[in-house]
Amino acid sequence: MTKFRHLIWTLIATGGLILSASQSQAQMRQPDVGDQPGLLPDESVELDPQFRKTAVLYRTNEPPGTIIISTQDRHLYLVQGNGRALRYGIGVGREGFQWQGLLNITRKAEWPDWTPPPEMIARQPYLPRFMAGGPGNPLGARAMYLGTTVYRIHGTNRPDTIGTAVSSGCFRLVNGDVADLYERVPVGTKVIVRQKPEL
Amino acid sequence: MLRTFRGGLLIGLAVAIAIAAGAITYERYDTKTLKRTIRRGDVLCGVNKGLPGFSIPDDKGDWTGFDVDFCRAVAAAIFDDPKKAKFVPLDANERFKELQSRKVDILSRNTTWSMSRESNYALYFPAVAYYDGQGFMLPRSRNIDSALDLNNSKVCVQEGTTTLLNAADYFRANNMKYTEVKFPRLEDVLKAYESGKCDTFTADVSQLYALRLNLIQPSDHVILPDVISKEPLAPVVRQRDDDWMMLVKWTLYAMINAEELGITSKNIDEALKSKKPDVMRLVGTEGAYGEDLGLPKDWAARIIRHVGNYGEIYERNVGEGSKLKIPRGLNSLWSNGGIQYAPPIR
Repeated sequence: MTKFRHLIWTLIATGGLILSASQSQAQMRQPDVGDQPGLLPDESVELDPQFRKTAVLYRTNEPPGTIIISTQDRHLYLVQGNGRALRYGIGVGREGFQWQGLLNITRKAEWPDWTPPPEMIARQPYLPRFMAGGPGNPLGARAMYLGTTVYRIHGTNRPDTIGTAVSSGCFRLVNGDVADLYERVPVGTKVIVRQKPEL
Repeated sequence: MLRTFRGGLLIGLAVAIAIAAGAITYERYDTKTLKRTIRRGDVLCGVNKGLPGFSIPDDKGDWTGFDVDFCRAVAAAIFDDPKKAKFVPLDANERFKELQSRKVDILSRNTTWSMSRESNYALYFPAVAYYDGQGFMLPRSRNIDSALDLNNSKVCVQEGTTTLLNAADYFRANNMKYTEVKFPRLEDVLKAYESGKCDTFTADVSQLYALRLNLIQPSDHVILPDVISKEPLAPVVRQRDDDWMMLVKWTLYAMINAEELGITSKNIDEALKSKKPDVMRLVGTEGAYGEDLGLPKDWAARIIRHVGNYGEIYERNVGEGSKLKIPRGLNSLWSNGGIQYAPPIR
């Protein structure tokens, strides 16, 4: 146990990735349930006001530029300093596919291609083996890769799923928001993911 | 003989004075609120006569609101029945007197906690239920998202209020220029704002959200997240009744702790089966913390079951589940960007 803990702290110190131990079943990645590859986003979808991009009061000791994700409230905060943050509405992992931890953005991509991993193909054999980036791609307009994991912060072709828990552990924003966030955060940005407490 | 008589008289006088002094003390300091409440079978709550989101009766006389629900939580802890809370509408200027004269057991009436109120009226504000504060509303089209970008603004504000003074302090402290556009009546201030006589409207944030509902196109106006003054709203009880004060204080803390632990009115039965120590202490499956308050072990479970945790009460009355839609802001938990923080139950 001590050794394990030591290992964890070493990882933190080196800016590595930590996922909480309870995440073993959340192996999955990338979008799945609720996604319809090829479907063009419905531009007329209006987000509920609480999921629209907005400046909010947010006190934290994390430095400006940090991303804090609250899976429980379906919100992504970009810390601005002065007790403020930009808040975006997100879709999160469904039950069993939620996780918490500390990661860094390791790569950014515009209109990313999508290669559903084998586990996902096993679960949903009807999915394409590869899909080129574009408006019908479930990853949407932008993707930010988290650590060395299979998780990403990405856009979507299903804006109506913002505020819900349907993904395999990724965080999705509407394309307008993910493009806005993409411009504001460099590779190396610290991402903190918080999950709801368990009883 | 005469001497004994005189002595007796003196003793008698001393006893009389002692009794009188005791009576005065009793008159001034009431220490039996909980006992009296239990004997009477209800909790009497002084509330605002009509403030949407905080306390307002419908046409059938049923009360709703954040302050109302807080009182129901106290009643739920004592009687396992939130309906035992009875509401007494009070004006702002009579509220402290009515509490002092024991017409109500508790004030739960959007009352700002300040030092002089506590000391001058011999009252006690057990804990902050709602952090309000002064903010700014402006047309969405102006595309401003920070109060620090309000330099050279015409500011609509109510005359003769601390709001006016707070605005002056804020603009001066941040080296910004502004022009006051002021009226004695709030409705006139709102009218002036709506007709474009000023760039921004300043008042307490909860008030701004309520007033925005009265504008022709509410969604065309935004309320900035910045809060420039302290208006901590708290329940109020009489001083020197420590048992009652503790009960009121821990009712609020139980609700805040419940939210932090993820316990809601919907999963309370599941929580009663939990093996997590801090959950067990709160819902009463470990320890007997309620007994120190003169209540049964499940006091907090009763509150959560009947009324909900802090977040539930907030969202239902003033947050996303209400017409007002006030963001949690300062009233978020300390672990989620706000300052709501409750000491642990242990």
